[in-house]
This record gives sequence, structure tokens and C-alpha cells, in this order.
Amino acid sequence: MKKYSTLIILALILMLSCEKDDICVETTTPRVIILFNNFDEPENSKELSSLTFWVNENDSIVLNQTIDSLAFPIDLTQNSTQYIFKTNNIKDTINLEYNRKDIFVSRSCGYKTIFEEVQNKSNTFNWVKDITINQTTIENETATHITILH
Amino acid sequence: MKQLRILPFYISLLTTFIVFSQQEKDTVKTKESYGIRVGIDISKPITTYFEPETKGIELIGDIRLKRNIYAAVELGFDEKTTEEDYLNFTTKGSYLKIGANYNAYKNWAGMNNEIFVGIRYGMSFFEQTLNSYTPNVKGTYFIPDTVNPNTEFKDLTAQWVELIFGLKVETFKNLYLGASFSVKKMMNTKEPENFKNLYVPGFNRVFLNDMGVGFNYTLSYLIPIVKKKK
Repeated sequence: MKKYSTLIILALILMLSCEKDDICVETTTPRVIILFNNFDEPENSKELSSLTFWVNENDSIVLNQTIDSLAFPIDLTQNSTQYIFKTNNIKDTINLEYNRKDIFVSRSCGYKTIFEEVQNKSNTFNWVKDITINQTTIENETATHITILH
Repeated sequence: MKQLRILPFYISLLTTFIVFSQQEKDTVKTKESYGIRVGIDISKPITTYFEPETKGIELIGDIRLKRNIYAAVELGFDEKTTEEDYLNFTTKGSYLKIGANYNAYKNWAGMNNEIFVGIRYGMSFFEQTLNSYTPNVKGTYFIPDTVNPNTEFKDLTAQWVELIFGLKVETFKNLYLGASFSVKKMMNTKEPENFKNLYVPGFNRVFLNDMGVGFNYTLSYLIPIVKKKK
């Protein structure tokens, strides 16, 4: 009896020690996925040359790069974020508005924020020709949320 | 000479048998106490002393039904604040555990010690307060603010089963010191909305696969009611 119970206790301790809930493995607060497409052929991507990208008065997120897509963070302390895109020294600003909602994930990850009713409140048209909000709810990073045509 | 040695051999053999059979007859009929044993978990006040934000008390009791079988009950109150990387919450509530212990230890005459295995059905009634959390964001471009919602989730319940291994030693007459280790499996919980029961009174920390562990150190006193022959 004693031998068996020792074995059972050992087996259970081993089982419990394999727990993973101390490390956050789930996805947390999503970023916005943005795609730059060709205005003449809206299905095809078109690279932006020497793009510098930042949120007003903050440091740049992207500095002088040539890219066709971008993932950027959203301000969790406010209900709108103003983004500034500068390509070949031509500046455009986009002001996104959204509602924030905190969703419980797990013990180690805590809460994540998702964004609902995302809309383009205002933007300038210097190099930007059109902006489409593909998804009004941003809860993961698996799909494109915004497409910019230029 | 040889005959002489054979004779004492037979004599000694015979006496041995006589001694053994006499011992058999002489066996003292020891009596064992049956009664109600009540006590407390002594680890809880000690934990409260070192961690003032943790409060708890547990009363234990058992009744000896058969020679090796005890019906057991535990009743307790627990208040604990848990601090995680992105969360801080307080759990407060009471619990009740009902079950039985089987004593697998064969005592010598006059001894009343136990090495036992037991099962329990546990239930808890509690509330959770989400004190604060910080939304989990990758990167450091935007630093999120810590939110202090102080949301109270009331009328929560949980039911679980436990498997216990432990021992009890009679240190003075009728006074027992005990230690036990338990493994728990959550069966059913009423979860708060947009939160989770990460800690349940009586169950302790709820692990990812709904498992839990517990340690108890008990001091209990036996109130003898009847004495039965072994």
C-alpha cells in the first residue's frame, strides 16, 4: 500500500510539474495589419518607397524603408490614434477611431485589448488615393484590417 | 553423547511450542477508542502570520466508523490576494469537504497511529475581486495604463474531488498531529464573466488542466465515546 501511494504521489507531482500556465503562449493585444495596394489594380500590392511612419509626437516605428505591408500598434490609453506616413518626403495623416474592450486571456497573459467599430475618422490625400477598412473589429493578426491604395 | 544432544533438542523444541501456544492464549484483549476527533489546520494561522494579506482557518473532524474507516469533514474560510504578471485579484469564501479515510497502518497493541488514504468531495462558495490588470501588449511603443476596475464577481461556486495521502500520530493521549497531501480535480465551477476562477478557497490555485494540490498540517483531539475490543 505504502509503495503504491508513493508511486501515485510521484506520478501526480510529475503530471503537475508539466504545467504551462506560467508562460504566456496565447496571442494578446493585436496590432493593425495594413496593406499598400496599387490604385490602378486594387488587388495587387504596390511597394511604398522610403517610408517613414510614426504616431504624432512619438518616435518613428518605421524609418526610411521600402515595404508593401505594415503591422503597427494602437494606443490603448485613448480612443483614437493619429498615424503619420511619409514617403519620399510627402506626408499623409490618418486618424483612426475605435472602441476598446479588454478580454480575459489566461493567468499568465492577463487581459488583451481588442478594438471595435474601427473607422477612419479623417485623413489627408497627398500620396494616399483611397483607404478601405476591411475589418471593423480588430481582434487578431490573421487578416488585413486596412488597405491603402496609392 | 549423541543421544544426550538429541534429547535436549526435542525438549527445547517442545518448550518452544509450549511457549508459543501459551503466548497465544495470553494475548491481552486491547480496547480501541471510537469517537469524534476535532481539530484545526495549524498551517493556516502560521501562513496568516507571515503573509498578512492571506487569511484562513480550517476546522477538521472525523468519526471512526469501522476499525480502519473514518468519515471525515473539513470546514474552512479563505481569503487570498494573488499577484500575477498582468493581474491582481482577491478571492474570499468558505468551503466544505466531506469524505472518508482508510487507515492502512497496522498498529501494535495500544498504539493509535494512522497512515491513510482518503477521498473527499469539496464545494466552495466564494467571490473574486479583480483589483487591477494591465492589458498585455507586445512591444513598448505604447505603454498601457494599469486599470483598477475593482470588479466584484459574487455568488461563485465550485465542486471538486480530492485524493488524500497522510498520516496521524498520537503524540499525547488522544492528541493527534497530522500531515497530509492532496491532489484535486475540479469538476464544476461557476466562472465569472470575462475572468476566470484562478484560485478557489479549499482548492487553492487552479492549474490549467483543472488540477490542484494541497498540504495540511493538523492538530486534533479525540473525544472517546465508546471503547471496542480489537
